Amino acid sequence: MAEVAQDVREAPARPGAVPASAEAAPPPAPPPPPKTNGNGAGAQAPRMPSAAAGSFIVVRDRYTIYCDRPIPALDMPNAQAFEVTDRKQEGRPLYALICKPEMLPRVSVMRVLKGLEIPHILHMVDWGVAEWPPIERKCVIVIYHRPMGGKLMDSLAGTAKRIPDHMFPKMVIKPLVEALTELGLKGITHRAIRPDNLYYMDEARTNIVLGDCVTSVPACDQPVVLEPIESGMCIPTARGSGTFADDMYALGATLLILAIGRNTLQGVPDAEIIRRKIKDGSYSTLVSDERMPVSLIECFRGLLTDDEEQRWKPANIDLWLAGKRLTPVQARAEAQAQRAFKFADQEFHSIRSLSYAMFVNWDKALNVIADGSLEIWIRRGLELNDLADAVASAIKNSRAMPGQQKDQEDITLCRVLMVLDPRSPVRIRDFRVSLEGFGNSLAVAMMSKQKLQPYTDFINRELWRHWVAAQTKYNADHSQWENVFKDLRNYLRDQNSGAGLERCVYELNEWMPCLSPLIADQYVMEVKGVLPALEAVSKTANTKMWPVDRHIAAFLRARYAKGVSAQIDAMNDPRPDRATIGMLSVLAIVQWRLGPEALFGLASWVGGLMGPVINAYHSRPKRKEIERELPKLIRKGNLAEIYNYLDNPEERQRDAEGFAWAKAEYAAAEKQAFDLEHGQVDRQESAIKSGQQSGAIAAVVIMLLTYTGFLVSKLF
Amino acid sequence: MGKAPSKQPAATGKARSNAFLYVLIAAAVSFAIIPTIVVLSVALLPTAVAFLVERGKGWYCGVTVGSLNLAGAAPYLTDLWLTNHTVDGAIAIITNIWAYLVIYGAAGFGWAIYSTMPAVVGAFITMTAGRRIAVLREQQRELVQKWGPDVESVYEPEKKDKANPSSIAMA
Repeated sequence: MAEVAQDVREAPARPGAVPASAEAAPPPAPPPPPKTNGNGAGAQAPRMPSAAAGSFIVVRDRYTIYCDRPIPALDMPNAQAFEVTDRKQEGRPLYALICKPEMLPRVSVMRVLKGLEIPHILHMVDWGVAEWPPIERKCVIVIYHRPMGGKLMDSLAGTAKRIPDHMFPKMVIKPLVEALTELGLKGITHRAIRPDNLYYMDEARTNIVLGDCVTSVPACDQPVVLEPIESGMCIPTARGSGTFADDMYALGATLLILAIGRNTLQGVPDAEIIRRKIKDGSYSTLVSDERMPVSLIECFRGLLTDDEEQRWKPANIDLWLAGKRLTPVQARAEAQAQRAFKFADQEFHSIRSLSYAMFVNWDKALNVIADGSLEIWIRRGLELNDLADAVASAIKNSRAMPGQQKDQEDITLCRVLMVLDPRSPVRIRDFRVSLEGFGNSLAVAMMSKQKLQPYTDFINRELWRHWVAAQTKYNADHSQWENVFKDLRNYLRDQNSGAGLERCVYELNEWMPCLSPLIADQYVMEVKGVLPALEAVSKTANTKMWPVDRHIAAFLRARYAKGVSAQIDAMNDPRPDRATIGMLSVLAIVQWRLGPEALFGLASWVGGLMGPVINAYHSRPKRKEIERELPKLIRKGNLAEIYNYLDNPEERQRDAEGFAWAKAEYAAAEKQAFDLEHGQVDRQESAIKSGQQSGAIAAVVIMLLTYTGFLVSKLF
Repeated sequence: MGKAPSKQPAATGKARSNAFLYVLIAAAVSFAIIPTIVVLSVALLPTAVAFLVERGKGWYCGVTVGSLNLAGAAPYLTDLWLTNHTVDGAIAIITNIWAYLVIYGAAGFGWAIYSTMPAVVGAFITMTAGRRIAVLREQQRELVQKWGPDVESVYEPEKKDKANPSSIAMA
């Protein structure tokens, strides 16, 4: 990604300029862009006004993206499509998807797919981060080969031109399964398989490809009808990357809709779709009353099996395509109670249906837990004593937890739902997340400035631990997730910079851009991009604020823990001077290790914040010396030099020793002065004594001199 | 035990014989300096008074007055010792009114020195203390200028002195 951030550059819009190669541009297009600045750093280029009609940007000196030529037909739910021309291969059909800044794209998948030509997958030509003039900030831009035949289905609300039944397997099923198999071999799940994300690459509409899967978090744009029951229960951002089986389910649902020609569940609320899927099974729910082509029924049943382990895999499809008849999938029967449980004006005979109804009717469900009727029904109606014991235990343990009654009730119900339906995600009122999707969901919530309380509650109240404990099947991933969430809980309990929820989001999302308000517009995904971004904003930022805020500290700690941990700890020191020098050391070590060599704006910004560090020297002459020398170092733009100068241990030691000596000197003088000022009585006594002594001595001396004088004068 | 009592009378007898020897020598010397003793017994009356007055308060008064008293007697005593060391010579001195004036005047000067010197010394000490305080304050001001107000401290000698307003004012 580092190379991408450097290579992507932009051209300022010059509506009136006529570049030398104007004739090379297509007639209706604006002229090719002028040469961009040579350093390749897009961050240095001036921003263009939002009303830059006719503006365009150039990325990698090759692809011209026209800001005023949107292609709504190719838009994705979280990315807008624009026309692109390739300066090296004129006439190559391309388009660019500009990701919305409030959505987290799948950068790790982009890195794998870039340049790869996988059959029946939309070819990703390139991707990168560049300034996008219409919104005056940097965005992730993905350049794809442009599908010339349009979508198979414009939207799920519309209809699709039916493909003849005999052609359906060869023309649709086979290529798509091949595409998914290829992705599977690379360890990638697509998670965006839906009828309106399938394209005909050719104008003849013979070659079907899977569309984009990287412009939003996994499965975020998937309607509930196309997702397995468990995934469909999650909030869209919290579904996680899922498994290959999830892709197979989405493929089955997509194929079924294409085979029927329309979405039979169009207009049905999501909760009702899930209820029907639980009650009747996914296949029956999606088919509804429609007549299915007999030849395809077996395949669709296999792909839409709700039991993930029994769901068809590509090998099953291959066998089916080869004409081999497979054993029909038999849905595992769920335990049914002879006596129905009445809840929310409905009667329930099975646990899973009841569990979902309890989630939908949250407040009513609190009552059946409180009065114990649920536990009695499980014990007597279903005769599942172990489950009843587990429910009772969950209720008892939740109530023993400290907290407000309302929160306790919610957690109790949440835990009961986990016990009743362990496969479902963690559900607590409107918050429904899978452990795997928690990180993505938190990232999107933070990027789009949503309420974050449910996320902190999820970690602090250890809902993740209860969910793992409720699982009936062992999964090694769950232990891993437990460890991850234990770490997150520790981060959250730490209130210092470099920890907190900010740290959690960067730890959970490898390619999360830094969300610091200072550099959020710069879309910095790597540590080495932080300082250039701060340099870029140094002229406009409020220089009384620290350049290392909570987000930047957490970002650096998550991405570069070995390099900056000690420095960030110093930054959290309660003493202002140590904290300030800690902040400087964070920036200095990043510059020293990752560059760039000179940061004039940032050095000036940081230099202006060094007041507490300078004032930490007791010696006034030293302070004046620093104030004289600091501007010279700032002009060099080297933060490490500034740090070394300000945090010179020998100078500090000398200053401390000098100060201690001065304090002792002052105290001694004070004591002496005090004694002199307050010793009046003693002084009188001393004066009398001294006067008498000196008088006596003088008298003796006079006597001796007198005798000596007389004796000498008379003798000689 | 039986031998110890026999030793004590022997020691006492030896001491007595020593004292006798001293008295004998003193008597011989006194006899030899009778003229001087005659003069001094009259001349040193102020000194005797001074020792009596300041009895229990030290010897300084007696020493001061005595020294100058002796200094005042110096012209007459040296004259007596070197020219006519006889009782007649001594009587001639003690009957000389000018000799009294000089000797007692010198003793009076000794009194004056003894009385005024404490005041003089006190004034001197006060003067030097004020100057010392000024020097110390200047040193402190320089320290504060160089190291800042953090260098300052308050001296609190004793608990009883904490209530002393002057110590607070100093801070």
